[in-house]
Amino acid sequence: MTERTLSGIGVTPLSGVGTVVWYRPDADLPEPPAAEDVDAEAELARFEDARAAAEDELEAERERTAERVGEEEAAVFDAHVQFLNDPQITDGVTDAIEGGLPAEHAVQETFSEFVEQFENMGGRMGERADDLRDVRDRLVRVLSDGERVDLSSLPEGSVVVAERLTPSDTAQLDPERVAGFVTVTGGRTSHAAIFARSLALPAIVGVGEELQSVEDGAEVVVDGESGDFVVDPSDERKEAAAAAADVDIRHESVETADGVEIEIAANIGTLADLGPAVDRGADGVGLFRTEFLFLDRESPPDEDEQYEAYVEALESFDGGRVVVRTLDIGGDKPVPYLDLPDEENPFLGERGIRRSLGPDADLFETQVRALLRAAASADGANLSVMLPLVSTVEELRAGRERFESIAADLDAEGVENELPEFGIMVETPAAAFMADQFAPHVDFFSIGTNDLAQYVMAAERGNERVSDLGDYRQPAVLRAIDATVSATEGEDCWVGMCGEMAGDPDLTELLVGLGLDELSMSAVTVPQVKAAVAETDTADARELAERVLQADTKAEVAEILTLDQ
Amino acid sequence: MERTVTVVPEDGLHARPASQFVETANSFDADIQLGRADEDDLVPAASMLAVTGLGVGHDESVRLAAEGDDAEAALDALEDILSTPEAKQ
Repeated sequence: MTERTLSGIGVTPLSGVGTVVWYRPDADLPEPPAAEDVDAEAELARFEDARAAAEDELEAERERTAERVGEEEAAVFDAHVQFLNDPQITDGVTDAIEGGLPAEHAVQETFSEFVEQFENMGGRMGERADDLRDVRDRLVRVLSDGERVDLSSLPEGSVVVAERLTPSDTAQLDPERVAGFVTVTGGRTSHAAIFARSLALPAIVGVGEELQSVEDGAEVVVDGESGDFVVDPSDERKEAAAAAADVDIRHESVETADGVEIEIAANIGTLADLGPAVDRGADGVGLFRTEFLFLDRESPPDEDEQYEAYVEALESFDGGRVVVRTLDIGGDKPVPYLDLPDEENPFLGERGIRRSLGPDADLFETQVRALLRAAASADGANLSVMLPLVSTVEELRAGRERFESIAADLDAEGVENELPEFGIMVETPAAAFMADQFAPHVDFFSIGTNDLAQYVMAAERGNERVSDLGDYRQPAVLRAIDATVSATEGEDCWVGMCGEMAGDPDLTELLVGLGLDELSMSAVTVPQVKAAVAETDTADARELAERVLQADTKAEVAEILTLDQ
Repeated sequence: MERTVTVVPEDGLHARPASQFVETANSFDADIQLGRADEDDLVPAASMLAVTGLGVGHDESVRLAAEGDDAEAALDALEDILSTPEAKQ
């Protein structure tokens, strides 16, 4: 059998191998019996029992979701209970039963009418239609006595494949038994995606209708990083996926073979990413992309909500450093409640620190207050803060002054606060050129290789036509990194790296040789990079770095690195 | 008794504010209805379907009507929810 690859949006950087179990909650009901054969009284009683059972389930799932994912996600179950007990629904179902339909058909008919109404209204109403469908399917499942796939007791190694997975569906999944899931619809921020990340399950969403062609029982590989869903995988493919899933996880910090400690941290977007970061053995967080706290909502998180988020991140690691990047909003990251300008080149426009010191000064102030307070919390000494997209010393100074003046405001209000360790992202060529001027003003640099490569090479990220140019193995990018690290010599300033390059275990030795003190990456590659650090000898690594820095082409860089493997 | 209120929550009468609104309406004995301020039709406030089905957004006005012993208290409580910018836990 030859393998076949379908592609979707990978939502967790994890791989899994398993067997397809199709989940089709809205499978057709059998034809109803003739109206005169239906005992209306008995059916009404069945409906009442089912309603009570469904409400119990919803309460339980609400609790579980609040615990596993968060209060925000759990609130949807309150709406479900209200739909379940809505007088229009109960009256409709009662009428339908009295008109001669069995309970499940009456539920199906009544809900479908409202689902259709809401769908026709479009917009926000579409979400309510999803909620209604979810409640309807739950009632029908309870009534039909679990004749369909029960998500809570799947065989081990199941890969759940579905049109969509609702919050109710995902709340039932047993992560111990499920090897991953794949859906026809959905995006990076859909319920299912958030859930997959919080449970560290390999998952792909938005594969499209082609997914329907995959059969129940098929053997598959779910690559939640690339978004590849491989059906009938080759043995090599399965082994590679299994190897990726089965690595030794070190929870202790790691040293090179000659005893130099290198901090290996995780990049996170939301609090749901903390679990996988801890599970994969990250020492802390090297990049907390706080803009994710601001996306996909109608209004910005307030000071208390942010404070709690930062404290939760700090408490997740036993003494591990948590580097929070202040808001990096602009251009490519639309936020509905902010009036973002239309710019011809958003990546070269008003983004990052440029907005925080300009139009988003109020948002920035709220964030800084939350950060200063978090730095005074029990684990606050481990908090570090960095500014994104800094390109001038004035921006750095202005950012730092904002922290100091807001700290003075908090002092005046009698609110406990501390100034955290302070740094900047090095992601513009300007910052790399000026690193020696920046270094005396900061405690650390964190090199953001995705943007640095894009700006150094003038090659847009995600544009396949120029992907060869935008590669972080281009000699110019490596020299920018080297210049940044070298500029800190003799200064009390450590240098870290966040971005995809830091998580590439084939480059770990080179990065140690270039003098990086910390590497931060998506949680999934933490074990591989820790293993690579343990095998590295710093003297050899420095020698490797020197040779690589002499290379005049990317091909030569790649050749030196391959020969070295 | 009737009252016209402007909907303050960013979400309008959706999601959590709607949930709270319906829950509160159900906690009173009074018969409560609501509709858009500029329309005559009213729907039951105790029905999540009806309330969200109105599709009332942020900054729109609604008319609340209540009859019964605790009508005034009910209107006070519902007005409070509609005037609070962010739904509380």
